[in-house]
Amino acid sequence: MEYIIANFIQINLSTALQVILLGFIGGVLSGFIGSGGAFFMTPGMMNLGVNGVVAVASNITHKFGKAMVGSHKHGKAGNVDKKLAAYILGTAIIGIQIAVAINSFLFKGASGHGVAKGAGSNLYISLVFAIILSFVAVSMLKDVLGSSKSGSTDSGPSRKIVDAMAKIKLPPVIYFKVADITVSLWVLMPIGIATGYLAGTIGVGGFIGVPAMIYVLGVPTAVAAGTELYLAMFMGAYGALSYAFQGFVDIRLTMLMYLGSLIGIYLGVYGVKVVNERYIRMVTSLIILLCVISRAIAIPMYLRQLGLIDIDPAYDVYFNMTSKFFLFFSGISGCLLILINVIRAYMQRRGIQKTLRVVKSTAE
Amino acid sequence: MPIVLITSPPPHEMGHALAQNLADDTGWPQYSRGQLVEEAHAHGIKLSRLETSIIKSPVISEQLAREKELYLSFVTDMLCGEIENKNLIYSGRSGHLLFPGVRNILRVGLGVPIEIRINNASKKLGMPFEKTQDYLKYLDEDIEKWNHYVHREQASDRSNYDLFLNLENLSLANASVLLQKTAELTDFQLSDKNLSLLEDLHLAARARLHLARNKETTGLNLGIRARDKVVTVTYMPRQESAATSISQALDSLEGCRENLCTMAETNILYIQEQFNPKTDDLGQVTQLAKRWGAAVELIRLVPKEEEAGSSLEDLRAEPLSANGRNGSTYTGGVEDDGPEINTDDGGLSETLEELVAMGRSAGGYTVAGAGREIINAVKENNNYSLVILGNLFLSKGPQASTRLTRELGLTLHDKLRTPVIDIKELKSEFLFGKAQAFKLVMFTLILVCIYGLVFNFQKPILNVIGGNLHEQWKWAAAFGLAIFVPVVAYIYGTVSGLLLKLIDID
Repeated sequence: MEYIIANFIQINLSTALQVILLGFIGGVLSGFIGSGGAFFMTPGMMNLGVNGVVAVASNITHKFGKAMVGSHKHGKAGNVDKKLAAYILGTAIIGIQIAVAINSFLFKGASGHGVAKGAGSNLYISLVFAIILSFVAVSMLKDVLGSSKSGSTDSGPSRKIVDAMAKIKLPPVIYFKVADITVSLWVLMPIGIATGYLAGTIGVGGFIGVPAMIYVLGVPTAVAAGTELYLAMFMGAYGALSYAFQGFVDIRLTMLMYLGSLIGIYLGVYGVKVVNERYIRMVTSLIILLCVISRAIAIPMYLRQLGLIDIDPAYDVYFNMTSKFFLFFSGISGCLLILINVIRAYMQRRGIQKTLRVVKSTAE
Repeated sequence: MPIVLITSPPPHEMGHALAQNLADDTGWPQYSRGQLVEEAHAHGIKLSRLETSIIKSPVISEQLAREKELYLSFVTDMLCGEIENKNLIYSGRSGHLLFPGVRNILRVGLGVPIEIRINNASKKLGMPFEKTQDYLKYLDEDIEKWNHYVHREQASDRSNYDLFLNLENLSLANASVLLQKTAELTDFQLSDKNLSLLEDLHLAARARLHLARNKETTGLNLGIRARDKVVTVTYMPRQESAATSISQALDSLEGCRENLCTMAETNILYIQEQFNPKTDDLGQVTQLAKRWGAAVELIRLVPKEEEAGSSLEDLRAEPLSANGRNGSTYTGGVEDDGPEINTDDGGLSETLEELVAMGRSAGGYTVAGAGREIINAVKENNNYSLVILGNLFLSKGPQASTRLTRELGLTLHDKLRTPVIDIKELKSEFLFGKAQAFKLVMFTLILVCIYGLVFNFQKPILNVIGGNLHEQWKWAAAFGLAIFVPVVAYIYGTVSGLLLKLIDID
């Protein structure tokens, strides 16, 4: 990969279009799933040759601005619990700091140049990515399939964990008005730290934050998504500042991602309004699983670059290509599924104009 | 002939005893929650599942919301069916919250000393004192959750009671006498207007149960209202095939003289004092409704002090049918003896007709009062994506009107948890006009300039944010980025939002 300066790659028209496409797909998925989109964009950029830490830094910076716009919109709809966000944020900063320190250490502490220099950080990010998101996807899929077996057509998320957590009443127990939940601070803290750590490590905070708020705290889905965006704005600002201070933010990637993502988000959010909840969770979990496979395929390549396993470097191309294929397959197919529903709903909405009126001949 | 609703804390013995005393003294029919629960089970209402879900978690699925509506409809139907000669005594854990919006009903709360409660519960359950104390504490919390979810109220809110009796210094017999005397006051005799409201609640409840029991319409998520014997149902587009079945099912519903079925993904509540179907305002509202696939529900809000000839107890929601026939509105002054009755409904019926013709009607009616009265009128069917406040408090000066409208908006937003917007902001927030077109062009130009600059001067810019210059200007570079990025996001977010608004996607 050709570098224009330090850690920043040369961007030609093809690369730019691919980043815009990544942004668009990430935006659609993010608007639809309600959390991040970074799970697609970060590895996508890594597949384009961007160093893992630069991809994360540029993405977290992109997320900061995006969350600012999104949370403003959610705020108007009454979906933001600022008090809950403030409590999670307090602990999330610790998580971000841990993540930035580990990433910087792995990148700057590594020997070698160019690709090899970033291999440690790439491996670490890929491993965290694969482990955490496998867990999220499998749990989500299990939940969806479980509700299918029970024959329920519109059942909400599982409440097992919420029920268990509700029993913990260790003071201070706090009431959050907008989310309408009462929860112990000791339940909130680990969620905040985990959200911050993942946001700082793989640029994916919402994937833990939103499900945790829904499945652990019992926050309504819309409020969880709105609060997460509000939270992401501050975490993104903090993460962006930290990474920018280290010199890892590629502003061009951030700006190119915006070109696709902000349009994509609107379409994804529109999709949420018109598709039933179980379908949303099913599509989401399948997309994440495919992304995990994509990242897992790239792991042997990073292990070789670190000298931990012995594989012919010529195979890197195949690893990269297969990884890229799975990533783009998951993103594009998921995005297409969502867009088909959006278009269908758009046409249907234009057609909805129907009031059936029946007046009885004899009033009783 | 009154209706008395008694709420008592668990284990409810005192409430039931008081209700029994009152029934013995007066001969009025008496009903308790225990009887209702038995009946509900007998009719297949899964009350225990609903209770468990509400108590354990606030995350309620569509299915549970439907069960809640079914349960409330069942309770309303049962109790209204029991009201003989307009009187009834009911005792339960949140009885005073039944029949929301209907006045002339005596809503009574009982304060029972904790020692008596523990003793009663301990005897009943055979539990030791300490365990019973904990048991009651948790039970109180569970009932609070129930009230919060099912009735959207707090039991501790004393404004929901007409009378609160502390049984610490009052015997049951005397409390019963007190209730009987209070219930006989004219304030607690159902006026025709409130009786009509009660009948509407009953009709809506029967309509819901009727549709739930019909094999073609069972399991649908429906919004159901009844006003002046007109039942309005809104259903989701995915349930389109059931539309005719809904209408046909309602055709056989006793007491329903007209039914309106509107397909809608959501509802928009439009509150105004004077409606006019020819104004731009309504055009904007329907334009938005079309874009969102929404039905529009109208409320004509009449401030209390402006309703001529009405006493306080008359200031309740006035029924109005979808075709504008106002059932029993007293207009004051000399009544016409001809068939035409002067019913100035502030343009509501005309506007409603217009909405029906457009296929966007979710019904409409008049409410006298302000925030609390509106909430009581709509809280059972709260499926709104947006509340629009039009011209309100017209008799006040412009500043007072603005202030009162803003306060009303805050109250509605707080209670209904739905975005509330002033009609004047509707265009700029949700629709596309000249101002939006100008903004789109300007922001696009700015955006092109920013992107042009960054991509034409990549090397020096990257040098500052991550190259050699970055080492000297670390903090400046970091803060510069932190300011620059949200500006770009805001500008591009506005451009993309406006573009999508232009093609009706939002």
